[in-house]
Amino acid sequence: MSNQSVVVIGGGPAGLREATTVAELGQQVTLIEKRSYLGGMPIAENYSNLTPYFMQADEAMGAIISHLQSLDGVTIMTDTTVTACTGEAGNFSLAVQGKDGPASVEAGAIVLATGFQHFDPGRETQLYGYYEFPDVIALQDLEAMMKEGNIVRPSNGEPPKRVCFVQCVGSRDRQIGNEYCSKVCCGIASKEAIEIREALPDTEVFIFYIDMRMYGYWESQIYWPAQEKHHVQYVKGIITEVLPKNGQLLVRGEDTTMGRPMEVMMDMVVLSVGMEPSVGTREMSALLGVKQNKYGFVEAVNAPLDTVTTSQAGIFAAGAALGPADLEDCTSSGGLAAAKAIGTIRRSMAVAG
Amino acid sequence: MPVGGRKQEPAAFEKEEAVVRSTISGREWELPGMWNRMFEPRVLSGYTSGGFAKISAQPGGESLEWCYGCGKCVPVCPVDMVGEYGPRKIHRKVQTGMDLFSSPDLWLCTTCANCLRVCPKQVNMIDIMPAAREVAVADGNVPNELQDVFEKSFRYGNALGENARRRHAWAKDAGVPVRVLANDPGPVDVLFYVEDYWSYHPRGKQAAQAFARVATVAGVDWAILGPEEKTLGDSQRLAGEKGLFEALMDDVTATLDRYEFARIVTPDPHGLNALRKEYPKRGHTYDVSHYTQLLAPLVDRLPLVNRIEKKVTFHDPCYLGRHNGEYEAPRRLLEAIPGLELVEMLRCRENGYCCGGGGGGMWLDGFTANHTSERLSERRVREAAETGADILAVCCPYEVSRFEDAAKSTGNEHLKVLDIIELLDEAMGGKDAVASLAASGEPVAR
Repeated sequence: MSNQSVVVIGGGPAGLREATTVAELGQQVTLIEKRSYLGGMPIAENYSNLTPYFMQADEAMGAIISHLQSLDGVTIMTDTTVTACTGEAGNFSLAVQGKDGPASVEAGAIVLATGFQHFDPGRETQLYGYYEFPDVIALQDLEAMMKEGNIVRPSNGEPPKRVCFVQCVGSRDRQIGNEYCSKVCCGIASKEAIEIREALPDTEVFIFYIDMRMYGYWESQIYWPAQEKHHVQYVKGIITEVLPKNGQLLVRGEDTTMGRPMEVMMDMVVLSVGMEPSVGTREMSALLGVKQNKYGFVEAVNAPLDTVTTSQAGIFAAGAALGPADLEDCTSSGGLAAAKAIGTIRRSMAVAG
Repeated sequence: MPVGGRKQEPAAFEKEEAVVRSTISGREWELPGMWNRMFEPRVLSGYTSGGFAKISAQPGGESLEWCYGCGKCVPVCPVDMVGEYGPRKIHRKVQTGMDLFSSPDLWLCTTCANCLRVCPKQVNMIDIMPAAREVAVADGNVPNELQDVFEKSFRYGNALGENARRRHAWAKDAGVPVRVLANDPGPVDVLFYVEDYWSYHPRGKQAAQAFARVATVAGVDWAILGPEEKTLGDSQRLAGEKGLFEALMDDVTATLDRYEFARIVTPDPHGLNALRKEYPKRGHTYDVSHYTQLLAPLVDRLPLVNRIEKKVTFHDPCYLGRHNGEYEAPRRLLEAIPGLELVEMLRCRENGYCCGGGGGGMWLDGFTANHTSERLSERRVREAAETGADILAVCCPYEVSRFEDAAKSTGNEHLKVLDIIELLDEAMGGKDAVASLAASGEPVAR
């Protein structure tokens, strides 16, 4: 006897779009979320505005959450983790641990949407002093400040006069083991740079980069306006180290187009941290027996023309569990995973008669 | 240099020449600026958006900060071939704290527009440079030789500082009558705007005389302003003297208003550019063309009886080609000359290499020499010589003198530099033959 319900693990942008699509197609869906609230990283990490459209994060995520809640056939389980999984495509049984103790959830197909976590810039090979200097912060720290409408140097509470972003922190690095580009940081740093310039018009903002990777429309949506309209200064050459000097931060690196060393004083340094598989992605992949790539993200075994099928029949993945992804990637793969999951269920029912 | 115990940053221009004295022998050596610049501090630390803000505050200066550093401009920048230059580099230097208004970099751009042709972000040095130079001009921070030309242009109405009354002196020896509107003010088809270098420069005057003969034989109804003509001042504008340009324009348009003509033809692509692009912005619109554009449609009716069995290469003037889109008319004239073999240089047409004369470069040879390894005209002459040509044909009044000097200084004296009009004149039999043909009263193309 096959089960007609789809289980989605993870309530971020990808999981929400996936669950919404399943419900809109008239199929039963259960969304399991470890946190006590839905919305994923944009909510958990206090994002201010989403990239690239500058939509307010709470509002945008709130809209999709309330839409999901309004649909029939939707079960949402927050504060819940999956502890075991048995069965096969068309007939899975998940043991879960929720607020009210252990329970069992049946599913015809499973979608893993457990997402990413920000790279920890304090890891020992990083020379940026993230934990040593209060005025060295990460992208999401600045997001949280902007959400409060209060961009200040953490060390003294004063608005910074000079801010720089350092790109590729925790990405494209063999030594760290993250050999991939995290794809979104160039755009997010540029978006945040624009927001600083708007909030603090007298503040100079610099972005130190190896390559600016502003793919597709991000070029004209974010990069060009940042430079041409908001006067953000892009400097090719990455920062090697950050040193404290006279109550400010001295950033040192090579200006590669000038071929000369640079030493520049800043009030605040923002590290453009990359994406790594979240603890949930690592744990759930192992628990479900889904193959992970060398970086710990879920491997899409039929890529590139099918981005959501995993090594386990009946189990699909969506969003940043599959690797670095922007919001549009997440919601797109969420939709595809919904279609694939429903396809699995319908085929199982046909076989079961 | 500490002066009276006070530290004073040396001004940019003073830094250029250095004298080094041996502590042992006391002997002194003069070193060119490039040695001096080798000892600039290595570490860059002046990163700022302030330089762009200052340049953007000038209308036309806005696009410098649009540069995203792709570097496409640098390999096509003529100045980078002979020095350390290029729009991308200027962008980077300004971002790292250079004050463009007091930098020698401000004066090296010839506004040749090859960078703009390839720039994906449309960083427009043709607007940026005059805008930034205007600030330096207002501050009195202009190389002396250029300031001298500004003053001459203001005082005499021409860049050479020549007497206005002698502006049409060349006409006497043209071999054909040249109508001067001041003396003979009736309606005319073509007002021939001779401009400075064809009016006064010895080699330019020869070209003007050749034009007079060819135009007369071609049956063109034409006349000149003579002593009333003043320079159109486009290169002075691009060199930063917008006020001078506008003052000249007031005089020029007042003169033009007094006469009745159908169109203006000029041998000077810089004048052409002013009349086509700048005058209409201020409400003065004329039908304007280059002399090659006047003659190209008439060439089949010219009696080109003398064969010129020579290999000829042609230098596209920046302000005729890239700035005003004409590449064919000069070539049609050259190809019509019997026996003449036209060979192209590596960089031609849209990618033509600048002679160094545009944007004020004509009047900055001394200054430029201190910042480059050789003149652009020398670089260009080498390229012309590489084609195996006997003759370098030109059709911009700046070029004959520039390239003749360069041919000598690079050891390419065998390369003759001739204006296309001189080649046409020669193909029609030369001065006496063409003059008598004109005097026969049977213009071939009326």
